[in-house]
This record gives sequence, C-alpha cells and structure tokens, in this order.
Amino acid sequence: MSEQNNGMSRRTVLKGAAVGGLGIAAGSTLLTSCGSKDAGPMKWGGRGLEESSVQWHEAVAASFEEATGTKVTLNMNDSNAFQNNLSQYLQGTPDDGFDWQAGYRMQFYADQGLLEDVSSVWDEIGGQFAESYKIASTAADGKQYFLPTSWYPWGLHYRKSTMTELGLDPENIATWDDFMKMLEATKKKGLIGYALGDKGGWEAMGTFDILNARINGYQFHVDLLAGREKWTDAKVAEVFKYFEMMIPYMNTNVLDISWEGMRDLLLQKKCGAMMMGSWFSGDFKTLSQADYDDLWIVPFPEINPEHGRDTIDAPIDGLCVAANGENPEGGKALVQWLASKEGMQARLDSGNTFTSANNGQDTSSYDPFQKQQLAVMGEAKYITQFLDRDTRQDFANPVVAPAIQNFLRNPKDINKILESVQEQWDALPAL
Amino acid sequence: MTTLIPEKKYKNTQKTKDRFISIFIGFFALAWLFPIAWTIWSSLRPYNDVIANGVFSVPDTLNLDNYINAIRLMKLPMYLTNSLLITIPAVILTLGFGSLIAFVVSRYSFKFNVALLLFFTAGNLLPQQLVFIPLFKMYLSIGDFFGNRALLYDSILGVVLIHVAFQLGFATFVLSSFLKTIPKEISESAMVDGASVWVHFTKIILPLLRPPLASLAVLMSTWIYNDFFWALVLMKSDSKRPITSALARLQGEFVTDFNLLAAGAIVAALPTLIVFFVLRKQFVSGLTVGSTKG
Amino acid sequence: MTTTATNTPVRRRRSFSRKDRLTLSAFVGIPTAFHILLVWVPAIGTIGLSFTFWTGIRISDIKWAGFQNYNNIFTGTPVFWDAIWHNIIWLLWFGLIATPLGILLAYQIDRKIRGHRFYESAFFVPVVLSLAVTGIIWNFMLQPGGFVQGIMGRDISNPISIYGNYDINTYVILGIASWRHIGYIMLLYLSGLKSVDPSLKEAAAIDGATEWQTFRKVILPTMKPVNIIIIVITVIDSLRAFDIVYMIYGSSTGWPILGILVFQNISGGGMSMKGAAYAVILFALCIGPMIAYLKQSFTEDVK
Repeated sequence: MSEQNNGMSRRTVLKGAAVGGLGIAAGSTLLTSCGSKDAGPMKWGGRGLEESSVQWHEAVAASFEEATGTKVTLNMNDSNAFQNNLSQYLQGTPDDGFDWQAGYRMQFYADQGLLEDVSSVWDEIGGQFAESYKIASTAADGKQYFLPTSWYPWGLHYRKSTMTELGLDPENIATWDDFMKMLEATKKKGLIGYALGDKGGWEAMGTFDILNARINGYQFHVDLLAGREKWTDAKVAEVFKYFEMMIPYMNTNVLDISWEGMRDLLLQKKCGAMMMGSWFSGDFKTLSQADYDDLWIVPFPEINPEHGRDTIDAPIDGLCVAANGENPEGGKALVQWLASKEGMQARLDSGNTFTSANNGQDTSSYDPFQKQQLAVMGEAKYITQFLDRDTRQDFANPVVAPAIQNFLRNPKDINKILESVQEQWDALPAL
Repeated sequence: MTTLIPEKKYKNTQKTKDRFISIFIGFFALAWLFPIAWTIWSSLRPYNDVIANGVFSVPDTLNLDNYINAIRLMKLPMYLTNSLLITIPAVILTLGFGSLIAFVVSRYSFKFNVALLLFFTAGNLLPQQLVFIPLFKMYLSIGDFFGNRALLYDSILGVVLIHVAFQLGFATFVLSSFLKTIPKEISESAMVDGASVWVHFTKIILPLLRPPLASLAVLMSTWIYNDFFWALVLMKSDSKRPITSALARLQGEFVTDFNLLAAGAIVAALPTLIVFFVLRKQFVSGLTVGSTKG
Repeated sequence: MTTTATNTPVRRRRSFSRKDRLTLSAFVGIPTAFHILLVWVPAIGTIGLSFTFWTGIRISDIKWAGFQNYNNIFTGTPVFWDAIWHNIIWLLWFGLIATPLGILLAYQIDRKIRGHRFYESAFFVPVVLSLAVTGIIWNFMLQPGGFVQGIMGRDISNPISIYGNYDINTYVILGIASWRHIGYIMLLYLSGLKSVDPSLKEAAAIDGATEWQTFRKVILPTMKPVNIIIIVITVIDSLRAFDIVYMIYGSSTGWPILGILVFQNISGGGMSMKGAAYAVILFALCIGPMIAYLKQSFTEDVK
C-alpha cells in the first residue's frame, strides 16, 4: 500500500476547476497549537442513516472515547439530505467534525469561511498521507481544510463468473475493440452489455468523465470543467459519439433507474459490465461472500493510445471541521484521531469495507477485491474526483445532468445540447 | 323526509342506474386501494423470497419479521415522540390563532376585515420554497439576538412556528366560513348583555366552533405529521427530526430491502390512518368550505 | 348576511370598553404579526434576492444582478420551458380530469349510493398518507421487478421504461398525483354538498329531472362558492406541484417542473439566486388565481 501511495504522490490530482493557485504550504511550522488531548466533549456529524453506516460510526466513536477518554456525540444524517443542506448545516449549529468530500465541494465551503483550518493537524499527522491527498485537501488560500480517510476508484465492474461463461477475462478487456466485443457477446447471450442508470442525473457523469479522459486526456477534461475549453468543441462531440456507440448495449430503462438499479442488475447477474465507484461492493458482501468474491474491477479500456488508461475518477472521502461548531479545537482533535492510522484501524476492525487513504495502513487484511482496487488506482497517473465534485455546483447538477439525460433520450440532438450547455456556462455569474 | 316520488317507474330505473354507478365506483375504489394492499402483502414476505421466486410467487413464509426489524431499525419511539412534539403544539396553536381571527372577522366589522381574511388565505397559497432562504437567515439572527442560536433553528419550536404560520390561512378560512353560517343573533344577544369580548369568544364562539375545530384538527395533524420539508431544512440534529426521517434509516445508501421498507412505510402511516378512521365522521361533517347558505 | 360598514344596526350599538379594544387588538394583532413575520417578510425578501447574485451564505457577498437571473432563465435555460410545459399539462389534467372526477365522486357519495361509506374512506386514504409513504408504495408498483412490470412479464433485466420514457411518464406521474388529488377534492366538495338544502334535490327529482340534469342545473349553481375554491386549489396545486416529482426523481430534472427547479437551485452547494427567481416566477403565476379567489371572497362578504 505504501508503494501505491508513493506512486500516487507523483500524480496530479484535479484540484477543482475554479481554484487558481496550488499554494501548498511548503515550510510547515512545527509549532502546533492544537491537538491537545483533553479537548472537551465534541460532536461528530456522520453521513448515512442506513444500518451499516450507523454501526461503523458508533464503533469508531466508541474506540475514540476509549482511546482518548473524551466524550463524542454522534449525529447521523441521511446522506443525500446532508449534502443538500450542508450550507445551512454549516451556517447554523454544526457538529464539530463531520464527514465530507475533498475537492471542489470542500473548497467552496472553505472559501466561504465555513470550515476550520486544519493545517495544524496536517503538521502533526500529514506524514501519513500521500502528497496528492494534501493537494486535494488544500483550498485556494493554501491551507488545509480536509482530512482524507477513504477513497474508491470508478472503474468497470464485472462478475467473474459471467465473464467466464462468455469465455472472457475482464483483465484482457483493455481496448475499445475488446470492450465492444464484450458488449456484443453479452448482448448475444441475452444479457445487458453495459448497465447504466441516470435517474439521479449524476450516475452517467462517471461514463462521460472517463470517456472524455480516455479520448481527450486529463488536461482537456480539467480545462473543460474549469471553463477554459468549450463544450461546443468537436472533441466533446467525439466523446458523445463513443457514448452513443454504447447505447444499443444498455438496459432499456436507463432514465428509470438510479445507481441502486444498476447495482441490482450486476447483483442479479443480468449484465456484463457496470461503470461505478467501488463503494457499493459492501452490498455484495451483505448478500453473500460468494457474490463478493465474484466481483471484479478493471480500469475503463484505452481509446486513444496517446492517453492510455492514465486517468481515473477516484473521489476522496474524509472529514472537515466546522468553523461555527461549539468546539473547533475538539473537532480538530477528533478528525486527527479519526484520520490517523489508529482511527482507520478501528474503522477497519468494525467490519466496514473501504480502502484507507492512510499511508501507514496495514493492508495485509485486504481481500483480493480491495487489492485490485489499489491496482486499478495504481495504474492511473492522474486522479479526478468526479464531475459533480470537480466543477461549479450551480453548473454540474442544474446544467450538465439534464444535458446528459437529454442526450440519452435523443442522442441525435447532441450538437444542440452541447451548444446549450456552453450557453448556460457562459451565463453563469462570476464567482 | 318521506319520498314523495309518484312514479314508480322512475324510481326503478333510478335504482338500476344507482346499482351500476355503485359497482362502477366500487371497481375504482378497489383499484385505489390496491397499491396499498399490495404493499401490505409484500411487507409480510421476506425480500429474498421475492428475489428468488419472483413477485407473483406463492410465498414460502408469511410473517411479521419485516415489521419487527423495521420498528427496531427505525428507532420508532424517538422519531414518533418528535413527531408528536411538533404536531400537537402546531395544531393547537394554529387552531387557536385561527379561531381568534375567524371570530373577529365574522363577528365584528372593521374596515380591514376582508383584507385580513384574504391576506391569511393568500399566505397559505404561497409556495413554501419562496420563503425558505430568508426564513433560515431570520431564524439564525433571532437566535443570535437572544444569545441562543438553537432557539429557532434546529429546534422543535422553530419547526412548529413555521407550520403554524403556513397553516393558519387554511384554518382561518374554514373557521370563518363556518361562523358565517351561524346566525348572528346568538352573538348579538351577548353583545347586548354587555359581555366582554373575551367572554363572548370563550363562552359563546368556541363551543360553537367545536365541529370545524375537530375536523381541522384531524386534517392539520395529518399534514403536519407528514411534512418532511421544514424538518429537513430547518433541523440539523437527527435526534430532533420527525418520523419522516425514520424511513431514511431503512432506505439507506446501501442494500435496500424493499419489503422491509414496505413494512416501515405501513408503520409510519399507521398513526394518521388510525386518526382518520377513528375520527372519520368529523372529517366531513365539521368542514364547511365556502358557505352555501347565503 | 355578514355585517359590513353598510350594515349599520349592529355597528351603532357597539361601544368597546378599553379592555375589549385591547383584547380585540391582541386577537387580531398577534396572529397577524406572526404570520407577516414568518411568511410575508421572507417572501418579500426572496423577491428582492431574485435580483441579486448570491450563494446564500455571507450577506456581504450579495451582488446586484438586475434582471440577469430572469434573463438567464427565460433565454438561456431550456429546461425552464420544459418545466412550464409540464406545469401546464399538470394543470390541464387536474382541471379537466382529476378535479371533475373528484366532484362527481362526491356527488354520488352524497347521494348515499350503496357502499358510500366504504367508498368515501377508500378514496380518502391516499390523502392521509405522507409523501414518503406514497413514494414507497408506488415504487413497489412500478419499479423493475415490481408489480406492474411483473404483470407485463418483465423482470429486472428487460423492464419497460416508465419514469424515463417521455411518452408515458407524464401520465404515470399525473396518475399518482390524481391518486391523492381526487380524494382531497372529493372531501372538500362533500363538505359543501351537505349544506345544500335536500329539498332542492327532491324537488328536482319530482320534476323528473335526470341525475345529470339535477347535478348540472341544481347542484352546480348552488355550489358556486365551493366551485371557486376548488378551482383555485386545483390551479395553485398544479403550479406548486413538487412532492410527487421529488419523490420519484429527487432533485434531478428527470421530469422538470417549476417546483423542482426552485429546489434544485436553492439546495446544496449550488445555491444561487436563480432559485429565488424561479420561486418568484412560480409566485407570479399563482397570483392570478389568488386574485380571482380573493375577489370572490370579497364580493361574498360585501353582499
């Protein structure tokens, strides 16, 4: 794992489109002001109200209390609702530390002064993370506002058994031709080639991201999301040409189902491949160990040899400290412990399946699927977060999401759709 | 009372017609209830059974396991208590305020009577989202002013108040329509007797208002109990949220067990269903929407 | 019947003591102040904000935008026109189908046809259910692997597209919306019908009028005030429609409608005052029917 992470530190992480300077704190001060152990009772805002999430949060909170002797109160929230209301949450009476995401979504709130600077925590335990994570945790002012805990790669997920029946090996589906052959073979067998859902509007962004990165490369993708390239560029239309080639192999109800529907198709062996972040793998485990062992992930195939398979969407999850919390110092102590090797180990011990962002994590307990996630990640040179984390929030969901839905409905209209996307970008108010 | 219809023939054709109509409506009524019945049926089956054997399979097992699990996972006592803490005060306050306005508007004549009534009704018709952003900021500033940010934001009080403010229009409207149908003489005698306004309201008007108050109480508790919007945007602590949040515990980001969810939905709906069936008669009899007796 | 300024006899007799005047002021003043503070002040605030650029966080960041948000919506946001179109379809459906059905239903139930008690409850039950519960119930019916797909012999690998198919999703959504709306209208109408003088109906029956004639010539005209209220509710609810679409598509624009556009633009990190502008447009559309209603009540009271 440490080798993997060292590899990652050489790579570039998309910092979020609108942020100008990298502003890495070069000379970190060793004088730390916080991290004192008796920081008083504190609150932790957790995401995910479902049983599995509540369980690991409670287990980790208990470990924290045991380790530090400080009381922590958990406030679990419905994941979607939490995200939709984060602005109000942070302005009101937030919990001291809370689960959040790296990249643009963190930077926006940091710029608005709603997050507490956690550079001092980075001074203390920053050595446990790869440099790329530090970049992803840094806002426009060059300070850190985020501590990474876990990440998951977006890749093509297969069931090994289904592929074996077709006489294919996911590892060998490495080029567009291989990919199309796989789709053709699954279709012949009466299965769905490529499972896709886009009811939520964001699911298909994963496919767009990876096609754009494969065809036009990382730099173009970043520039496009930052508004430095135009959606009307023929290069973008090219992406949708490839996207369109996949449509005949998709399920007939793409706009009916959300990501759960896609997962169910793979879960019930009804499809060949599914493009998704690996976070759902725990669901396979819940169903049965055999189903989990059958699951595999490989990087999306190469399309343009110039770019190979050098980019991957790998959103980083982690923790922030709220500026308006009652006990920001306590919040810092909390996130420091949670993100540290010790805290991460407590989370692994609770049975939560995830891949740790911590360098020093003991990966000996990782199963083959987790190791494969590391390998998929290791192949990429550039890491992006995800379209709706990498560009303006008033652009991603209100503009790009309906555009992709319209494309899936009427692929022939793509030029008109892209023109409209560009017009809507141009009409956005300056930040 | 007694039917004075002379023509037997007419009566008979009408009877046949009525039977037809009744069957026709009955067919629709069953169709109306079918989705609910199907959900209840599904809630009695384990999800894995459905996955393995299909939706129309004859079930191997029918039991209440989904209900037992749902109630445990939903943390029902906590959320139900919150729901009651929001719903009951909100309904009482709304009806109290509504009666006051209805009383003044229908028993005294001021120049602004009509305007006042219209103003409240119009408020009831506003889209909720129109008030959300400034309301949130206002709640925070009021809280800061009193030195307690959680006074209105993230507090049951705040959610109660916004419900009252919004529902007030409908309550006022129904109550004043009802009072209009009550002969004024009753009030006039009180005024002649020199009773104070307070006595007039409490001793004469309030008892009169009992039927519409009962039916409004049922309607409003249903609406407020079922609301999810305000509790979501104005509350940050899950431990204060109402029952609508309990379902999220079953819906989860990870594996969704649809039959468990069905059981949860039935459990969440039970309180309103019980209230409705117990007070079914009040529902219609107490409502006077727009008096037709001029 | 209501006393007004022109109806003086009651008025002349009235002389309020100071205490009464205080009581009356408090009776009216407290609820009114409360209502203004929590509903009208924020509503006006939103109207103001719709002319600005703002992320909803720091007051000092508010920037004057003039009509740019509106301009952006009307000329640069195709999804807005889709939403308007959906609102119009919704209105037509409710106005021409769902509401009349609710009225007819109420009329039949009021006549105490056989089984009327059961019918009344059956049609009203959906109104009592919460949005979340309604969502779960209909998901059960329509999702891949659910009842409707099963009836058509589809499993999750080859379901027919419902929510994503523009040819049918509109009807499905309106169907679910009607599932709740019809019962509500029925209830309101029933409450009005019971105050219609029964002798009127009997007289009509003696005259040999058919049911339809009785309904059209006797009931409908007598019910004029209720009719107006029902029309207003139908129009406003069609414009404000949000719940059912949100329950199916979340805040995505799978089936855009004004209420969703407002929500999408005021929630999450993407909060922009374009959302406020959408809300104001929605409000502006509601004003027409509101005034119609207000006028009706006004004339009623002056009569």
